[in-house]
Order: sequence, then C-alpha cells, then structure tokens
Amino acid sequence: MFEYLNQSEVIRSIVTVGSMALFFVGLFGLLSQKHFIKIFISIAIMESAVFLFFIGNVFERDFTAPIMGEGYTNVAQMNDPIPHAMILTAIVIGMAVMALGVSMAIEYYKLTKNTDIDKMNEMRH
Amino acid sequence: MSIKRSLATTTISGFALSAAFVLTLLNLLLQNLPAHMHRAGDELLKLNADEGIANAVTTVVVYFRGFDTLGEIAVLFIASLGIGLMLGENERCEIKAESNFMLQTASRLLFPIITLYGIYVMVYGHLSPGGGFQGGVIIASGVLLLLISHKEYEVPHSLVVWLETFAGVAYVLIGLIGLLTLDVFLSNFLPHDIAQMGLLISGGIIPIIYILVGIKVGSEMSMIVQNLIKRQSNV
Amino acid sequence: MSSILFIALPLLFGFITPLLNKLSKNAVVYASTLMQVFLLYLVFTLLSQNTPHIEIISIAPPLGISFVLNATALFFVALFTFLMTLFSLYYLSHRKTNAYKNETKFFILLNMLLAASIGLVLSSDIFNIYVFFEIAGISAYILSAYEKTPSALEAGLKYLITGAVASVFLVFAIALIYINLGSLNLALIAESFGTLSYNLKLLIAILLLIGFGFKVEIFPLNFWVVDVYQGSSTLINALFSSIVVKAYLFVFFHIVYLFLQSADFSLFLVYLGAASMLIAEIVGLSQTNLKRLFAYSSLGQVALIFTAFALQNAEAIQAALFIVFAHSLAKMTIFLALSKIESVHKSVNAQTLKEFNSPFLRAVMLIAMLSLLGIPLFAGFVGKFLLLKSLVTGGLLGVLALIVLASLLEAVYYFKLAGFMFSKGEKKEPMKIDFTQKLVFSLLAFLLVVVGLAPFLISGFLLEASSVMLEASSYITNLVGAQ
Repeated sequence: MFEYLNQSEVIRSIVTVGSMALFFVGLFGLLSQKHFIKIFISIAIMESAVFLFFIGNVFERDFTAPIMGEGYTNVAQMNDPIPHAMILTAIVIGMAVMALGVSMAIEYYKLTKNTDIDKMNEMRH
Repeated sequence: MSIKRSLATTTISGFALSAAFVLTLLNLLLQNLPAHMHRAGDELLKLNADEGIANAVTTVVVYFRGFDTLGEIAVLFIASLGIGLMLGENERCEIKAESNFMLQTASRLLFPIITLYGIYVMVYGHLSPGGGFQGGVIIASGVLLLLISHKEYEVPHSLVVWLETFAGVAYVLIGLIGLLTLDVFLSNFLPHDIAQMGLLISGGIIPIIYILVGIKVGSEMSMIVQNLIKRQSNV
Repeated sequence: MSSILFIALPLLFGFITPLLNKLSKNAVVYASTLMQVFLLYLVFTLLSQNTPHIEIISIAPPLGISFVLNATALFFVALFTFLMTLFSLYYLSHRKTNAYKNETKFFILLNMLLAASIGLVLSSDIFNIYVFFEIAGISAYILSAYEKTPSALEAGLKYLITGAVASVFLVFAIALIYINLGSLNLALIAESFGTLSYNLKLLIAILLLIGFGFKVEIFPLNFWVVDVYQGSSTLINALFSSIVVKAYLFVFFHIVYLFLQSADFSLFLVYLGAASMLIAEIVGLSQTNLKRLFAYSSLGQVALIFTAFALQNAEAIQAALFIVFAHSLAKMTIFLALSKIESVHKSVNAQTLKEFNSPFLRAVMLIAMLSLLGIPLFAGFVGKFLLLKSLVTGGLLGVLALIVLASLLEAVYYFKLAGFMFSKGEKKEPMKIDFTQKLVFSLLAFLLVVVGLAPFLISGFLLEASSVMLEASSYITNLVGAQ
C-alpha cells in the first residue's frame, strides 16, 4: 500500500484536496463572520491554502534541494527554485497587508468601540 | 412554510449548492494534475552556475527576480509607514502580568544570541538555506522578546531610520549603477567566478543585496512590532 | 533614457524621505514636485522614439523580467505622469491652508502609487504585475484611511479587505498558470495557453476575472467603491478615479488580448460592462451626497470603458482610449474643484453648490461635466461617438440601447447639478483662487476643449496604440525573440 501512496499523482491529489478544503474553510469564514479579526484570519487561511496547493503540486519527490555544494552539482535532479522565490515574496506581502489591516482595525475600535462589520455605518446611505 | 422549514430548506440547499461547487472544482483540478514538465526554473538552475552562488533559491530571489524583491521591500516599507501613521501616536499598552527578575535577566542574555543567529542566517544566506528575510525576522523576534519583558524598552528610533534608509537607498543605487555601467538595471557588475562557489565572498552583488534586504527587514519589523504594542491600555 | 527610471526614481525618493524629513519638511515637498516634473520631461523625450522598446532587467526575457514600452504603454505612462504632476502642483498651493498632518508620508505614498501604476502598465511578467498590484493597493489603502476619522478608517478597512481577497484569487490564478505552463512571462504564457484543457482555461479566466474584477469595479464586485470614495478625502478621490483604476483596466485587457481571447468570453464581458453601467446610473440617480454621486458617475464611466475595451476591434479600443483620456481629465478637474470648495466652505453638498461664488470654478466644472456627458465640442463626445459607431457596425444593438439609456440617466443628474451651480440665489463672498491652482484648472479645461474641437491631434496616436494592443502576435515575437 505504501508504494501506491508514494506515487507522485497520489501525493498531488491528496495535497490538492486538502488545500482546497482549507481554502473553502477560509472562504466560508470570510463570508459568514462579522468580527474584523476573524475576517483577517479567514483571509490568512485562504492565502496559506493557495501556497500549500502551489508548493504541493510543483514538488518532485525524488529530487533534492536546489543548493549546490560538493557532489550536488547535478542540476537535472534538483527541485525548481522559482516557486520558492514566488511564495517567499507572496508570504511577506500578505503579512504586510494583514499587519496594516490589524492596525487600522485597532484604531477604528479605539474611536468607535465597534467590531462588527454589519454595524459599520459611519456613512449614511 | 413555517420559519423553521424555510430556514432548513435554505440551509440544506445552500449546503448542496456549495458541495456541488466544491466537487466540480476538485474534479477539475484532479483531472488536470501536472505531469513532470520542463519549467522555467530548470533553465534558471542551469544559468545559476554562471553566477557562482551555491544556493539557487537566493540567486532566483535576489538576481533573476530581483525586481520582485525590490517591490516586496517597497511593500514592507509602505506597510511599516502606514502602521506608524495609524498607531504611532498612542501610548504603550500595559501587560498585566508583571515581569520578574528572572525573565528580565534571561531575555537580556538571550537577545545578543538571537541577534547573532539572525545575522548568521542573513550573511550565510547565499550558501545554505536562509537569507535576508529570514534573518531580519529572527532579529525582530529578539526585539519582541525585549519589548515584552521590559516595560520601558523602546527601539531607538533614529538608529532604525538611518539603517532602513541606508539599506533601501543602497539597493536602488546598486540597481542604477548596473544600469549605468552595463546598461541593464540590477545587473551583476562585481566579479562572480564560479571558482568561488561555496565561499563567503562569491557571486558579486548578490550577498551584498541580501544583507541589505536583511538589515531593512529587521529594522522595519522591529518598528512594526513596537507600533503594534502601542495601543491604549483599555483596548 | 531608460523607462526603468519611472520606477527607480520614485522608489529612491520614497526610501530617502525619512532622512530628508529630518532636514526640512518643505524640502521633501519641493523635491517630490521637481522629480515629477523631471519624469514629465522624460516622457517627452520618449515620445519621439516611436518603436516598441524593451528594457531588460537582470537577465533577458523570456526567462527574466522586462519592461515593454509600446505605443499603448506610452500613452498611459504619459497620462499618469501628467496628471500626477498637475496634482502635485495643485497640492503645493492647497497646503498653505489645509496641509495634511505628516505630509512627508503623504508624498511617499503618492510617489509609490505613481511608480506602481506605471509599473503595472509597463511590465511583461505576470508575477511582477502581482507585486505592482500589491504596491498600488497598499498605498491606496493607507491614502484612503489617511485622516484617521471613523469614516476614513471604515473606508480604509473596506478597501483593504476587498483588496486582500482580490489578491488571493490572483495568486491562485498565477499558481495555476505556473503549475501547468511552466513560465511567468506573458509572451510564453500566451504561446502555450492554447494547449490547456478547456475546463482549466475557463477556471483560470474566471479566477483572473474575479481577481481583477474587484479592482476594475465591475458589477457585482463594486460594492466597496462608493463607500470608499465617500470616506476618503476629496483630493484622494481624484487620484483613485483618474489614475489607479485606469492602470488596472489596461492590465486586465492586456492579459485578455494576449491569452484570454475568445468570442464567447468577449461577448460576456461586453454585456457585463453594459449592465454595470446601467445599474450604476440607476442607483446613482437617487443620491444626494455629492461625493457619492460622483462616485456612481465614475462607476458608470469605468464600466463604459470596460465595455469599449471588451469589443474586439481597433476602432472600439481607440474609442476606449479616448474615453480614458477624457474621463481622467474631467474627473480630476471635478474632484480638485470639489476639494477647493470643501476647503473654503467646510462641506460639499447641494446647498454649497448653490452658494459658492467663483465664476472661474463654475465655468471649469461646467466644461468637465459637459465633457463627461458627451456633448459635442468637448473631449468626451469623441470617444462615445466612436464607441456607438462601432457598436452599430458590430450589430450589438442591445448593448447600444443599454448604453444610451444609461447616458440619458447620467444626463438627468448632471443637468440637476448644473442647475444648482447656476441658480440665482444668495452667494457667499467670492473665493480667492491661487495662481498655481488657476493654472492647473485652466490647463485641464483647455485640453478638454481642444481635444473636443480637434480630435485629429491625438486620434492617429491612439489608433496606433489600439492596434498595438489588439495584436498579440507582434508583442509575443518581440519578447521571445529579444536576446
């Protein structure tokens, strides 16, 4: 059974199903929750799900890390470095936006004592 | 229909619709699982040897996609600016658990070790996994330790401003020097022999840029962490 | 003169500002304005070289990032730099009475917004587009929450949450593209996109539509726009409606013309745009708050530009570029004028419009409103006429009916506003307008009138720009062949 599970298609299917489940958990949280911080957490969960989906599908099980040193100059058996670079950038950007959002939420709460997005009606329609 | 019935119908039909949607998406993704393809990263791995850097991920982050890293630095800079704008004028919040003598001494002992580790990860980022972002965040976590355990500790503001300005301006200037000398923005104009691969000084501008990135990220994350502690104590 | 300077110089200015701030605040303001004037000079030197110019960054395309400066990109870069310079000149005299607190941070954000909008238009790599998308987004979130009043913070929070969700969908689309096609360069993606299965192409198209749709303000993803416009300060509204949304529109349709081209999808986009315009005008009819009214009008015009870009012929895209030009100039005029009125009378509603006393400002606002309506002799008419002509030749009479109906609704409330402005009633004391501000307003109004009277001045350039945008194959061969 373990040889069956070790095939790359099976690993990729498991990662796809799991990361999409996480994505929909985050999407459900985004649509149903009312407190800002829970909405920010849901967005962070969705971002993590997308990164997991990406890395899981580009990973080759038998290849090594893309670091060259003595004996590892065989470039054909190394994993792809571009997804690592992309996800690094995307994680940092996502963290920066979330930190900014949390600081705006803190300041808004300080001024109006309100944390419910349905009750945010400073602007009369 | 009574309210209970209509609520149940709505919930069940909502669940059925979302389940159908999820299953369609999963079906689509599972039918199109990628085979082992020849992707752009494989070409870049072959070009990596010309730059003489052992860690191919560092070459991709700093050199081949260095413009994205410059944009990411800009995002962190703007975020730190924005958080300072929102929360900068507040007072520091009170942490109700008083910190005692053991915590203060231990954190003062640990802070230099954490900073040294962060600098190690930053400087050796082109030889082993690690790099500027990772090292900067480690240094910021050391600063967070000091901020939590000491009530009166404040990150020295002018030092942070000098460090981050120096690092950011130097990054853009290195790119512009590449534009002036080799006619390509962010080109590798320092010598980068393949014979130096694996040594600390190798790869031209790449270790220099990653150290600058580390300094900038470390100082900005420290400022962000300090500003996030500043909310009034009744929040 | 390289086009990288459009990005490198504002970034350099942004990074060095915290240090310059210690010297003197005025140094920052004047340095920023000087830098934007220099960028405007750079645009003039680039206008003379007219071939598609590829600027290489680090390594050659298609493995690396590069900037492609063709006629369409040049049009947008020129428009954004010109509008931002006018905005800075206006602000130089606005700050004498109503300066923002922490002005140096405001200038850093303005320059980052300019750099990111120009980067979106020039870049040829999809992940680089995502990074500029985020830079523009985060600058816009902070600018809209800048004043830290409860309504400004509410606007900032709504903008941030919708922007973060949009970027999640965009990263998902980029992940799918890289996993299945193996490259991040737009030209290579366009070459091999046809080899994917139909379902996967549809999924990527839907994800890109959702991701960009939030920013391009298309129905039903534009629920955030009006509240954000109402909560931000009026000066920032000018930037949002004339610079930011145009950059996102161009990037989305650039991607559509490169690899998402199909007859069904284009027809769907055309109907989506026309429906958005009609819905925006219908809801806007009942508004009494002036900022919300102009936000709904902005939504309608942006949907019109969306419809024009979605039709797949060179004449329609030329019409779209004309409307982009006219709308950006007119909305900048209107929001700057509203900001001037607000700074003198401390509020902006129908009563203030009846009472403000400045014949110059009334004339300028009237010119802008007539241009937005599409009255002949003003710049807005040329674009609308070309669009209606190409709809008739394409046989899409249903879309034509929707657009004409929406324009009639828009005319109703613009005439109501004009009636307020020119009503005979008690006026307050005359407003003093600075020389710099008079210069800015006169230049904007002059351009609107001149292009309306003599559209042949720019129509040749815009026709070339539209055919460059429509034709994907020359873009692809330029990038893939450049070594």
